[in-house]
Amino acid sequence: MSTPADAETVATRTRPVGAAIGLLVVVGLALVPLFVAPYETTIIGRILIFALLAVSLDLLVGITGLPSLGHAAYFGIGAYTAGWLTINVTAEAPIPLLAAAGAGALAAAATGWLAVRSGGIFFLMLTLAIGELIFQLAQSWESVTGGSNGLYGIPAVQLAGSPLVLAGLRYWYVLAVFLIGYAVLRLVSASPFGAVLRGIRDNEPRMRSLGYSPFRYKLVAFVLAGAVAGLAGGLLTAQQRLVTTADLGFTTAALALLAVVIGGAGTLWGPCLGAALVVLIRDALGPRLDGHGPLVLGLVFILTVYLLPRGFAGLAGLRFRRRPAEPA
Amino acid sequence: MIVDWFDTNLVSILNGFAIGSLLFILAVGLSIVFGMMDVLNLAHGALYLAGAYLGYQFAGDTSSWLGFGTALGAAALVGLLAGGVLSTMTEPLARRPHLDQALLTLGVALVVAELLAISYGNDVLRVNAPPGLDESVQVFGRTYPAYRLALIGVGLMIAIAVYAVVERTTIGALVRASVADRDMVSALGVDNRKVKLAVLGAGSALAAVAGVLGGPIYGAAPGLDETVLILALVVVVIGGLGSIKGAFIGALVIGQVESLGRALVPDLASFMLFGALALVLIVRPRGLFGAKAAG
Amino acid sequence: MSHFPSRRMSRRRVLGLLGAGGVVVAGSAACGGGSLGGDDDEPATGGGEGGGTVKVGLVIPQAGVYTPLGVDMLNGWELFLEQNDGMLGGYVVETVIADEGEGPDTGVPAIQGALQNDQVDVLVGIVNSATALGAADAVSEAQKVLVIANAGAAAITGEAASPYIWRSSFVNAQVVVPLAEYLAANDISPVYVMAPDYAAGQEVVDGFTTAFVAAGGTVAGQALTPFGTTQDFQPFLSPIRDSGAVATFVFFAGGEAVSYVQQYAAFGLAETIPLYGSGFLTEGGVLGGQGEAAIGVRTSLHYSTEIDNENNAAFVEAYQAAYDALPTCYAVQTYDAANVLNRALAEAADLSGDAISDALGALGEIEDSPRGPWSFNGQTPEQTFYLREVVEGEGGLINSVVEDLGVFTQP
Repeated sequence: MSTPADAETVATRTRPVGAAIGLLVVVGLALVPLFVAPYETTIIGRILIFALLAVSLDLLVGITGLPSLGHAAYFGIGAYTAGWLTINVTAEAPIPLLAAAGAGALAAAATGWLAVRSGGIFFLMLTLAIGELIFQLAQSWESVTGGSNGLYGIPAVQLAGSPLVLAGLRYWYVLAVFLIGYAVLRLVSASPFGAVLRGIRDNEPRMRSLGYSPFRYKLVAFVLAGAVAGLAGGLLTAQQRLVTTADLGFTTAALALLAVVIGGAGTLWGPCLGAALVVLIRDALGPRLDGHGPLVLGLVFILTVYLLPRGFAGLAGLRFRRRPAEPA
Repeated sequence: MIVDWFDTNLVSILNGFAIGSLLFILAVGLSIVFGMMDVLNLAHGALYLAGAYLGYQFAGDTSSWLGFGTALGAAALVGLLAGGVLSTMTEPLARRPHLDQALLTLGVALVVAELLAISYGNDVLRVNAPPGLDESVQVFGRTYPAYRLALIGVGLMIAIAVYAVVERTTIGALVRASVADRDMVSALGVDNRKVKLAVLGAGSALAAVAGVLGGPIYGAAPGLDETVLILALVVVVIGGLGSIKGAFIGALVIGQVESLGRALVPDLASFMLFGALALVLIVRPRGLFGAKAAG
Repeated sequence: MSHFPSRRMSRRRVLGLLGAGGVVVAGSAACGGGSLGGDDDEPATGGGEGGGTVKVGLVIPQAGVYTPLGVDMLNGWELFLEQNDGMLGGYVVETVIADEGEGPDTGVPAIQGALQNDQVDVLVGIVNSATALGAADAVSEAQKVLVIANAGAAAITGEAASPYIWRSSFVNAQVVVPLAEYLAANDISPVYVMAPDYAAGQEVVDGFTTAFVAAGGTVAGQALTPFGTTQDFQPFLSPIRDSGAVATFVFFAGGEAVSYVQQYAAFGLAETIPLYGSGFLTEGGVLGGQGEAAIGVRTSLHYSTEIDNENNAAFVEAYQAAYDALPTCYAVQTYDAANVLNRALAEAADLSGDAISDALGALGEIEDSPRGPWSFNGQTPEQTFYLREVVEGEGGLINSVVEDLGVFTQP
């Protein structure tokens, strides 16, 4: 396997190219509303929202090594919080979003405290159980969530008093928040904190022997991931003006996990590609196949697991290790 | 007083045993494979669904022993084949993290469920119980479908058969040893892949057969695979990985939760199942009779 | 496992180019002048009399559990067009089908696509109430008329009402009030009430209970079953016998209706405690799944293939000839949606949402509908309800009409 020095040179050599491509993509995304029709702009907005959810999940799955099947719960909690607030209190720009992120963080803290004690497959199933419990809660608590009808009739987000009704303006709002959220996660990943997380992912007993408390670090990562997921949920509310229980259900959680794995866990930008693929298959391709999008998704997924162990991001030759080197 | 309580709830308790029987047949294969290879077969629910549709194929129009029997046989065969295919598919991923194998089975589950929906449509299809069993009988003054009573019997028989194979035969010993210490078994010269093939094949066959057996109660419809998979997972986790006794007890417990529980506290019914799962995972991840420590 | 720098670099480049190229291609393919400023203007096609096309967005489920309803609705729509030379109100109809899917997460985007991409003039359809409620704002803001051909939530023409949203189907509670009054009037009391625990189920239970109690009946007990996850109803069937109820009233549809009716018979309740329900319990494909267990079940609904009037006889015959199946209320609702649009478009000044809405409001009684005469009241039908009973007919099970329960409006 590679030596640290090798990885170092790879990183320094590819960094400027990566940055250039990243800049191109951001500029391209920013120019979308000027050339693209409203419906397609909305789809791209939806991709960005789902991508933010996938990236927040990547912090857990790819960087900390905690595979979660219940992450949509915090997404939904954020969405419902933003929706409730927009209807009942205020629609003024950052407030519903901040409340959404806060709610996601709180919920993650309350549940993560129990969840991060386990790991691997057990963590997977525990997060599944927690996600389903929260889903049931949303279904039952109709006075707040609207039950199975969902929270509808949410007024448009307001920026400095004027509502963002045009699809293009809403899209820029979504793009701006997406970039902020992504930047935050990127900074965390590149920081010493992120390095500790990767250490825990690769060899937890070793980190403990070095004096770190894995539980605390994992919990903080869980809360942070929950906060960003909640933020994405708040964006969903702004974009769609409708929240339903499907948004925090198992299907959403599974699709997010699929997006992360297909895109390339641990890279943060890979899951964005994965999210785009998942949303496009479901929304653009799905209707053309009589709603059998999941079939294509399942096939793509199987192929990815076999051929692209590092996801699509692996094609770019990025190096990251998910487990300590195993005997060949 | 106690007698009164039993009288009122007799049907629910009986029903709990029937559902528990079905769950045991479904979950025992999942438990052994999970305990043995740390492979979480998320396609298990789709196998049940395939069995249910086979039940519709052969016993959907009329009620006959021939039709039902053919469905059972076909399900066992299809299950065996499917298990073999799954085993071969997960083999190249043996050195990868266990999550990858679980996710692979998730992809397979998606594909199988969609193919079934394309072939059979979206309606809820019925499976007819064989003649003689499609009536109701009187049990302590209460009417109860005869088929479900028969199911309790079938579940017991299969439980005894599985127990006999695993506890009293050489193959069974190999399986038990693999659950306890896979690498040691490999060091003794036994090809682990063959054991895995056998167990996945048998477990999948049981899942498909459970689909046929559950047909007269649950029918065949899209979405059933997810519901059933969740139930099986809960049974496996609560009972403990790799333990037949655990799967049996777990199935009985969950069977009662689903029927008696829903009858007594309907408002909390939806929370009970996942609450129980979460509780066990937090407090005793090994499950009641688990053979392995939390991975 | 060695990596050659050059190969790695070119892979990255390819990936980056692919990404950037994808965005450009997608952008140019969808080029529509952007999404800023100047919302889409409706093409005002011609005057009211003759000439011109009307683009109708038919929103029906073509995937998921509601697909059978979508098939019926499409049939009803196409049958009307076929009988009217493909025209509504003098305009040639271009139908664009939008797949509603299973819920609002697919339905609302589909409706938005129909509005923005396909630029439809009118929308018809929608099975799922959550989708209807979720899309209401978008439809109103686009100022296009939507004629709902199924979704029964009260809020659609209640709290969330808008001048652009009309309905040719029913309101959930409206369907069961006639049955409640019938049971009370015939001294069939106490009654055990059951429905799935979601918005529509709750609306039905509330509507039934209020009307039943007001008419002098007593409720023996009530249960709301977990929605969508209950396949085995036994835990909820057991308490019925001990409650002292002389009849059971339920609301279930689709797969749950099949399971419920089958199990109701299997657990011996059908013989001693007759089963009553909202019409969807025995409407359409579910009868086939229920089989003999459904015989004797009585329900209330605004339609049955056995309604005795000329229009229905002709309709059933034409439907069977065209589609080799019996029509359902879903087909009639969409057929009638086409009917009212036919009348409204003939009177409307142009194809704008306001004009069509005004024209719909000015419509009087629709006297030639298969379900019997009905009219709009509060933008939703005020119509006759029938007491039906499942019996063995010539070609299979049918809902025969036992009694005419009277005309009811939305509660």
